[in-house]
Parts: sequence; structure tokens; C-alpha cells
Amino acid sequence: MNYFKSTIKIVNFGPLALLYYLSISELDTYFENYFEILSFNIQLIIIYFWSLKRPEVLGNGHVFFAGIINDVVVGLPLGMSSLSYLVVSLVSTYVKNMTVNTSITTDWFTFFIAIFFSNLTFLILMNNFSNIEISLLDMSYNTFFTLIFFPFFWFIFNMYNSVIIIGKNV
Amino acid sequence: MSSSRDDFGIAFRSALLQRGAAQKFSLFSLITIAIIIFFLDSFDFKFMKPIRSLINDGIYRASLVASSPSRYIPEITGNVSELFSLKKENEKLKKELEIYKQKELNVKYLTNQNRNLKKILESEDTILEENIVISKVLIDKNSPYLNSIIINRGSKAGILKGMPVMDKDYLVGRIVETNFLSSRVLLLNDLNSRVPVTFGKEGVQAILKGNGSTRPILEYLPDEYIIEEDIEVFTSGKDGIFYAGAPIGTTTIEGEVKLFSEPGQLSFVKIDLSNF
Repeated sequence: MNYFKSTIKIVNFGPLALLYYLSISELDTYFENYFEILSFNIQLIIIYFWSLKRPEVLGNGHVFFAGIINDVVVGLPLGMSSLSYLVVSLVSTYVKNMTVNTSITTDWFTFFIAIFFSNLTFLILMNNFSNIEISLLDMSYNTFFTLIFFPFFWFIFNMYNSVIIIGKNV
Repeated sequence: MSSSRDDFGIAFRSALLQRGAAQKFSLFSLITIAIIIFFLDSFDFKFMKPIRSLINDGIYRASLVASSPSRYIPEITGNVSELFSLKKENEKLKKELEIYKQKELNVKYLTNQNRNLKKILESEDTILEENIVISKVLIDKNSPYLNSIIINRGSKAGILKGMPVMDKDYLVGRIVETNFLSSRVLLLNDLNSRVPVTFGKEGVQAILKGNGSTRPILEYLPDEYIIEEDIEVFTSGKDGIFYAGAPIGTTTIEGEVKLFSEPGQLSFVKIDLSNF
């Protein structure tokens, strides 16, 4: 029984572990070797999905720390990614408060709003308070592919979410 | 109309301030903290430098450990396939070993001969001491926005901001951030990289600008200058940071530079401390 409980705990910890791992490790979702413009931000998808569906799996404090870690590893000013991630979390919490039943299409549309505000925050801070130059075109490609890949991850995370629920109901 | 505005206000306030069993911190407090940290870091407050340095060193080490599976898995799978060709390789290596043994004997003979000749010339044994630090690449995380690497040498090893970084004899970038035990290298292909260069028989001056892709571009060329292909590009040293004559790459017909050292394939780099 104890073994079963600890397995459930590990399964619950999955999305958070993935978020931290993607932030801290060398592993990236930038596939320039295969297709020069292909890159997407899987962290934003993780934060949006789990803040919307199961906020208890992904605490706001963890989202903040994952952002700080990402800033250090990538070389951005501290707090930049944290703010982007928290904006996504804010939109998803708002959507959660305002809606009862959601489908993949509504999630996809609201995710677009979330990454729009997240990137807007990122751009405003970068352009006005940092000397780092970024390519708007690369950023647009990244946003576009993040949006395109959202349904794919939505299905995967939805399946994982049902696994967590099964574990809790037993 | 006013009721929908009220709903928006309530939902937004609730999203910002709500704390429950699941959330220990409200989004409002975390966003405020993130903004404060961002401004403290962006405006380079003195007390932030050691804090940032400490955080960087800690996270870089943790990142190195976390990245090790992604580094070793390809190696392990490669080793399994190598097992099948082990016998053949063993025989080949034995033959190579014999050759190297012969060469070692030759080297010993030549070293002795060299010493004896120096004694005859009554010359002093001088060793050219180059002021170079060799460093290992700790983290090489690709980002759509920034192209940089983290190396395992920092201010403790005498590394300063702006120092040129080489792979073999080829320039790959410069130091943009130093911590006590690690540093960040801005690669030549990063959007923020600018290096004064010279090339061709006429010694054409230009600025090599990173464009985020693997091939940086040449800017500020003379008017109506037509770039030829395969001309070697060197640093001009005009900025006083990079010394003149370090090879970088060769020109392409599109006005780009094909780098001698591929930015994504760096394992060890050299940092030249001599100009600082």
C-alpha cells in the first residue's frame, strides 16, 4: 500500500519535474539542425496546461523558481522568464475562474492569449530595460510553433492527467 | 454590461490574489518579487554582482549534473554498437600501438639529440609561456534568442569580461559574464556579437555581426564591394579587445562567414589572458 502511495506521489510530481528539468538541463526545444526556424517553448505549454487543469500539481512558487533557473542557464536578466511564466499562469488561472467546461479548442484559443501577453511582457522588458538584442522574427517563429504544437502536448498531458486522477480515486 | 465588467474584475482579482491549499504564494506577490529582482539585476546594483555570481555558479553545476544523462545516453548506445566490432578494432589498435612504440623511440632519440645540440650551441632552454587558460564547456544550451556557452573557469582563474575565446587557433567568441568558478561566452553567431574583421589582399575592413544562424554576416563593407567566395577572414584588432590576425572563417558569396569552428560543437576552449 505504501509502495502504491509513493508511486502516486512520483506520478503527481511528473509535470513539475519535467518543468524543472527543461529549465535546468542542456536539453532544448530548438531544432535548428533539422529545420532552421523550428523552436518552441514547451515550458509555457506545461505551465498553462497544468495551471488550468490541476493547479495543485504545479505551484506558483515552483513556476517562479523554474523561471529564475531558466534565466541563469540561458543568460537572460534574472526575473525575465519568471515574469513570462507567471503571466501565463495568471491567464490560465483567470480562464479557470471564468469557465466551467473547456475543450481543446477553447484551451488552444486561451493559450494564444496567454502567450501573447507573456511575449508582450518579455518584449517590453527586453526592449526598454536590457541591452540584449533579440530577433523579433525568431520570437515570432517560436511563438507560432509553440501554438502549433499545443494540441499535441494537450493530448499527452490530458492522458497523463487521467492517470493522476485514477491514482487519486483508488 | 456593468455586471460582465464586475465578473472580469472579480475573476482577475481572484486569479492574482488567491491562495489555497494548492498555492502557498499568490501570483501578485510572486510577480512583484520577479519585477524587483529583474530591476535589481538589470540596473547592475553592486550588491547584486556577488549574489548573481553565487546563483550562477550553483545553477551551472546543477545544470551540468542534470544534463549528464542527455550527454551519456548517446555515448552508451554508441558503445553497444561498438562492441560488435571490438575484435577487429583490437587487432587494428595492436598494429597502431606497434607503430606508436616505434615513433616513441624516435622521439626519445630526437629529444636526446636536440639536448646535445643545444649544449653544443651553449643556448639556454627557454619555454614559451603563453598566457592561456584551457577551459571545459559546461553548458551549451541552444536558445532561439541567445547563442552562448558556459565554461568552467571564472574570475578565480583570472578571466575578465571581454577576453577573446578560441577553439584551437580559431576565434569563437568573447567573455560577457564572469562568476567566481564559471563564465559565459557570447558566441560569434549571437545576435549581440560584433567583431571588427579584415580579409582579402586589400585588407578590407568590416564588422562581423552575429545573426542568430550558424553563419554571421559581414557589415559596413566599402561601397559597392562585391564579396568573393572562400576568402579567409581574420580579426582586425581595431577595437583593442581582440588581437589582430586571429582566424575566424571564410567568406561566402552571400556576404556571410562560414566559421572555422562550429559553435555547436565546442568541448574545450582557450581563453587568451595576454591582452588584459
